[in-house]
Amino acid sequence: MDISQPATSNPTKPVAVWSTIDDANAKVLLRGNVDVYSLGEVWGQINETQQSWLGQNPQQSKTLTFDASQVDSLGGAGIAFLIDLEEAQKKSGGTFSLVGLDPRYQPLLKEFDPISNLFPPPVIKPQRGFIVSTGMATQNLLDDVKGLITFTGHLAADLFWSLRNPSQVRWGDFVNAAVQAGIAALPIVGLVSFLIGIILSFQAAIGMQQFGATSFVGPLAALGIVREMGPLITAILLAGRSSAAFAAEIGTMTVNSEVDALVTGGLSPIRFLVVPRVLAGILVMPILTLYADIVSILASMFTMLAYGIPFINFYNGMIAAVSLEDILSGLVKATLFGIVVSAVGCLRGMQTGTGAAAVGISATRAVVSSIVMIVLVDGIFAVISYKTGF
Amino acid sequence: MMSNDPVTYAIDVQNLTVGYGSNILMKDLNFTVNNGEIFVILGGSGCGKSSLLKNLFGLYQPISGDVLIEGQNITAAQGAQRQKIMTSFGVMYQQGALFGSMNLLDNVTLFMQEYTQMTQSEMNLLARCKLDLVGLLPYESYMPSEISGGMQKRAAIARAMALDPAILFLDEPSAGLDPITSADLDSTILDLSKNLGITFVIVSHELASIYAIADKVIMLDKGAQGIIAEGDPKVLRDTSTDPRVHQFFNRIMSKDAA
Repeated sequence: MDISQPATSNPTKPVAVWSTIDDANAKVLLRGNVDVYSLGEVWGQINETQQSWLGQNPQQSKTLTFDASQVDSLGGAGIAFLIDLEEAQKKSGGTFSLVGLDPRYQPLLKEFDPISNLFPPPVIKPQRGFIVSTGMATQNLLDDVKGLITFTGHLAADLFWSLRNPSQVRWGDFVNAAVQAGIAALPIVGLVSFLIGIILSFQAAIGMQQFGATSFVGPLAALGIVREMGPLITAILLAGRSSAAFAAEIGTMTVNSEVDALVTGGLSPIRFLVVPRVLAGILVMPILTLYADIVSILASMFTMLAYGIPFINFYNGMIAAVSLEDILSGLVKATLFGIVVSAVGCLRGMQTGTGAAAVGISATRAVVSSIVMIVLVDGIFAVISYKTGF
Repeated sequence: MMSNDPVTYAIDVQNLTVGYGSNILMKDLNFTVNNGEIFVILGGSGCGKSSLLKNLFGLYQPISGDVLIEGQNITAAQGAQRQKIMTSFGVMYQQGALFGSMNLLDNVTLFMQEYTQMTQSEMNLLARCKLDLVGLLPYESYMPSEISGGMQKRAAIARAMALDPAILFLDEPSAGLDPITSADLDSTILDLSKNLGITFVIVSHELASIYAIADKVIMLDKGAQGIIAEGDPKVLRDTSTDPRVHQFFNRIMSKDAA
């Protein structure tokens, strides 16, 4: 046989042929190179034929003869095929006889003896009841909350420690994190806030135009941007970029036992890994937010120019509507977001399990939890500022 | 009796039960490690060797029992006291666990920065000494990702020795290394033991390495949930009548033994 021609390329010569002799006797002839490729075409057919033959006249004792005398080579798949037919025969109470198998394949076949071990009864996974699942979910939630509270306590203590011992903070890591979370985020924050500025004022202008009130759009948009949209957009971008990055970094360190190495070296992972990143979050969030505010308002100015509002009118309206307090309120909120987002990213990183997949899961959880926490903090902040007027 | 005994063990394990939650791996372990000894914990894969080690050096809290390190109970210790005990030993993790963002020199000086009053140049010199002890002096400015697995393990030993610990815990130092690198590592361990008098507690299942370095071994067994043999590995190999011990030391396949 030409070596360049695989056994599968010859469709006129199936490797296994079924021939029914009568109700009680049948034969399978195996020939040629029986391997995982050539068998794929006939295994299923032979199996079906065998089943329907076994189904006819089921009371009768049936004998299947397996003739392997014309086999040139037999791979692991051939052995499995043989075992499959034998098991089906035995299950229906019939007999199976194998003739002509080259002795060199006998040891491999013997490895699987008894073959019934290869057909274990299907494992039925016990179904968890509704109450058990609910209980476990609640337990997980409680554990998560407990972890969060413990972490918050440790972090608060270590942040105070860093205020008292500023020389021992890892400022190199802080600078790295600040550059990554801050300067590197400028383009995307700029892009998104520019878009938000346009959309916000454009949508508002469409409605306001009907009342001839387009001149109020500028002050309205500016107020919304500095109090709400600026901090929110920046925080969500920080969650997507840096919270995930922190979780992946610390998660990889957890997987590599680097965090364990810190602990056994007597160093607090929170002080060592989390504090510099949270401090970076505290630093960059207000700055990024201020930048987002400016870009958004500029975008809004350009949009309103298209509606015939000159820059100076926009500016004057904005100055009248937006007080310094509004801007500060937005920046304070941004700082809170910065703490929450970077801390949650680090927490998720430290909670990483084992393996590469766990790092991915941690990064995902970091983003989701960060956004949930942003919403939560924003809500609380809204209530406080409504009550206090700040 | 106890109070008259002047000997303080490097490590004294008392009724230690190790496991995760309700899943108990080892029950009521009792053993001691003498000062200056090379002590090897061995046993088949998955029997809880590494978990036991992590309980010994306090990374995991045992289910019950106590671990005394140089007479001080690490299991019960809290806060600053615990931290003080933790600086009395060094740990090498299975994959080295070097800090990936720092070069080898910084990896070694890190713990010194935290605990000593030395200047940076003093720490650098000391760290170079440590790297020299494990034969990595020319590589001080390499990042962990730039050196081989065997070198990472040696660098991790250098880092573990940063604060001149009396005890070193090594988790499978020779796993995944070729025989020559593994033998080099063994001779490093023997040198450190001889020259510095460091006590070693090593988890391993590499027979060649065990025969070469171990003063004393304990053998753990999953089924027995405890120690099934204790003593000199060569003596155990030649005299043990326990089929599991015999099987392990003579590399007999389970199919043949059964």
